[in-house]
Amino acid sequence: MNAVRIAWRITRLNIRAQMEYRVEFLLNIAIGAIWQVSVIVFATVLLTRFTGMGGWDSSDVLLIPATRMLAHGLFVLVLGRMHGLGRYIQEGRIDIYLLRPMPVHRQVQLQYFPTNAIGDLTVAAGLMAGALSRSHLDWTAGRITYLITCLIGGMLLEAALFTAVACASLRFPAADYWGRWLEELLGTFGSYPLNVLPRAVGGFLTFGLPLAFVAYFPAAVLTGHGHDTGVPYWLAAASPLLGALAYLGARLLWHWSLDHYTGVNG
Amino acid sequence: MAVLHAWRTARVTPLGELHAPPRMTAVLVRLTVQVVLVASLWSGLYAHTGATAGMTREQAISYAVLAALASRLRELDQYAGRDTVIQHVHFGTIVYWYLRPLPPARYHALRALGEQIYGAAWALAGFAVCLAVGVVQPPKSAAVAGVFVLSLLLGQLILYFIMLLIDQWCFWMLRNTSAVLILIFAQNLMSGVYAPLWFFPGWFRTLSTYLPFQATLNVPLSLYVGRIQLSDAGRQLAIQAGWVVVLFLFTRFLWRRAARRVISQGG
Amino acid sequence: MTGSIEVRGLSRTFHTTVRRPGFAGALRSLVNPERVAKHAVSDISFDVAPGELLALLGPNGAGKSTTIKMLTGILTPTSGEARVADVVPYEERERNARNIGAVFGQRTQLWWDLPVKESFAILRDIYDVPKAEHSARLREFDDILELSAFWDTRVRHLSLGQRVRCDLAAALLHDPPVVFLDEPTIGMDVVVKEQVREFLRHQVEQRGRTVLLTTHDMTEVERLAERVVLINHGRLVLDGTLDEIRRKFGSTWQVRATLADGHTDVVPPPGIALLRQDGPQVVFGPDGSEAPTVHQALKAVIERYEVTDIAIDEADLEDVMRVAYAHAGPPAEGA
Repeated sequence: MNAVRIAWRITRLNIRAQMEYRVEFLLNIAIGAIWQVSVIVFATVLLTRFTGMGGWDSSDVLLIPATRMLAHGLFVLVLGRMHGLGRYIQEGRIDIYLLRPMPVHRQVQLQYFPTNAIGDLTVAAGLMAGALSRSHLDWTAGRITYLITCLIGGMLLEAALFTAVACASLRFPAADYWGRWLEELLGTFGSYPLNVLPRAVGGFLTFGLPLAFVAYFPAAVLTGHGHDTGVPYWLAAASPLLGALAYLGARLLWHWSLDHYTGVNG
Repeated sequence: MAVLHAWRTARVTPLGELHAPPRMTAVLVRLTVQVVLVASLWSGLYAHTGATAGMTREQAISYAVLAALASRLRELDQYAGRDTVIQHVHFGTIVYWYLRPLPPARYHALRALGEQIYGAAWALAGFAVCLAVGVVQPPKSAAVAGVFVLSLLLGQLILYFIMLLIDQWCFWMLRNTSAVLILIFAQNLMSGVYAPLWFFPGWFRTLSTYLPFQATLNVPLSLYVGRIQLSDAGRQLAIQAGWVVVLFLFTRFLWRRAARRVISQGG
Repeated sequence: MTGSIEVRGLSRTFHTTVRRPGFAGALRSLVNPERVAKHAVSDISFDVAPGELLALLGPNGAGKSTTIKMLTGILTPTSGEARVADVVPYEERERNARNIGAVFGQRTQLWWDLPVKESFAILRDIYDVPKAEHSARLREFDDILELSAFWDTRVRHLSLGQRVRCDLAAALLHDPPVVFLDEPTIGMDVVVKEQVREFLRHQVEQRGRTVLLTTHDMTEVERLAERVVLINHGRLVLDGTLDEIRRKFGSTWQVRATLADGHTDVVPPPGIALLRQDGPQVVFGPDGSEAPTVHQALKAVIERYEVTDIAIDEADLEDVMRVAYAHAGPPAEGA
């Protein structure tokens, strides 16, 4: 309970710190919104141009970007401080965190308040509402529960990926470069039915970089395309579980990497 | 002597990269994967559709792959070299820019020139490979190629000024993360890196004609794939040149204000 | 090479935004920020002759760095005037840049990703230094600073001591008559410090450079500087030799003597006070502002009394500075 109180107090201080830079604060909210609106524009552009993408109804396809963006917004709000860690390592901030009686991971999460997540989440929620209202599916309690589980799973999966990159940057500060690329890949390729891609490429985005599990598989299962995703149905359906497992693994990796952290020179 | 310091300053980035082979490997991997992904995405999207938005499958793929290549021109790990304006402002080393007989504006331009030439070498190599394996269609005629190169150069100049604006922002805000994100994003979206501008709704394209971003990539790439006809090229080049002049004057004005700010705050 | 520095009535005022405390205060500051003026430097005048090394001393926040920034042309004074090698630095920044070299503490001007020698080459071309001259100077610097052991290493892999030595060389490669050093040896070990001091001494004595140095290291001041300027709260407190500073603030010497028999009522010489007496053992200290130096006092005591044992306790420069810093200027306001 004490940990929660401290976390909440630091978060409030962080919000105040963000307000110190006036223009930045307002821009940060705006940026989240602009970012996501343009993703929507982009997604709808492609949806209207290429109807029947991958054999999906366009109202079904909309569920993919909606799931992906809402999961992403949650990730930025709750666990998003992992990317860009390389810079903090170079500045020696991790060394300071290691001296304090609080888990390093929590300190990293509490280093600033992600103002842009406000914009992110607002727009993502709007898109999700739009997707649900256009959907022809029968939204039973079971479906809704599964969707929520998938959102959390997607958030955890994204967090797992960025935590893994953060672990790498504990060793090689230059790994930040990969983090930025990862963000770009998730943003650009996370919003399509991946069966439009050649099998090898789809396989890479499933087993190499598992972004298919964030939104594509959950949406496929929900909309009845679960049997033609190229992977066994049970695997697609187990996406949220995989997200949780991946996150758990990433945290173990983080723990291990921190134990083997040797500091940066200079 | 001016040639000497220009050469020295311009080669900072390429030299730094050559001294860090892992970074070069990273660029190679990323460029390859990105091109493969982009090419397969667009051929996948076109699988059940003919020409749309006035673009055939080949045109769309050429456009998207070239955009991926071109956007690598300056997509380096800028922070690794600790020579960005925001880092200098953060570490207080920006004072040294104002302690040298080389004006900061020229230093910044020379550094960027070297960086862009280095990036161009990568893009060119990628272009040659893509052309050889047939992912990218060759230009229709020598005239198209010539106009494309001219337009691309103007576009890169505009891109430089946009990046410069982001850097100059730091002199006032001390932090530029959100400004950078917004501008980079606007740049990627409105220049056609994410998807050719032709697919977007009319209002969006009208909006982007009033902004400089589409002049950086969309215009040269559309000329290349023939989505903008040669007959219209003159007008487009004139618009690009206009942006170059406007942005040049504006950034020069900001450099002066930045110098005055450094001189009144002490860096 | 004539590198004099003239400073006349130099002042600098900063305006900063004060944030109000509390969450509501932060919100109010978001809308209506409150601004206050801070006088970082007020009416400072001093001169440095060509080929002289002057130490600019003062506690943290006294205005040393602000002064150096104005003299290097990075900062324009609010009022007053400065001339460095006959150039007004903040009016002709680029012309001034050719006349000066500067190192700001641990801030490096070297290119992070490149071997040190590349940085030197870039600076050579920026300052138009002929190749032969450049290599000759590099050799000269290498003799004292031992740079060649690591000048092919990338800057990011250098230790602090190595990096600052390179920065020092980088600042002097274009042969500037005037050099500004803002805490150049901060955080270095004793060996490197001594190396840097020797280098600076060499540059002043053999090359005739004018050096303005700020430091908190009093050993450094004693080894290098004959003259010091002391500022506090932005005002000039003292401009003089180390001896003068000692006389003014360091009069904390004590002479402890054991007198031979027969001295019951001790009347000390003028300017000297009897601090304590315990039988034959007496302790003298300075008396008034005209007090003699510790050496004069020693002589006077020996001349006047027959002593069997005598010892002196002299305050070292750090003690003197402690007194000077505490003594000088008004109490801290907003510092």
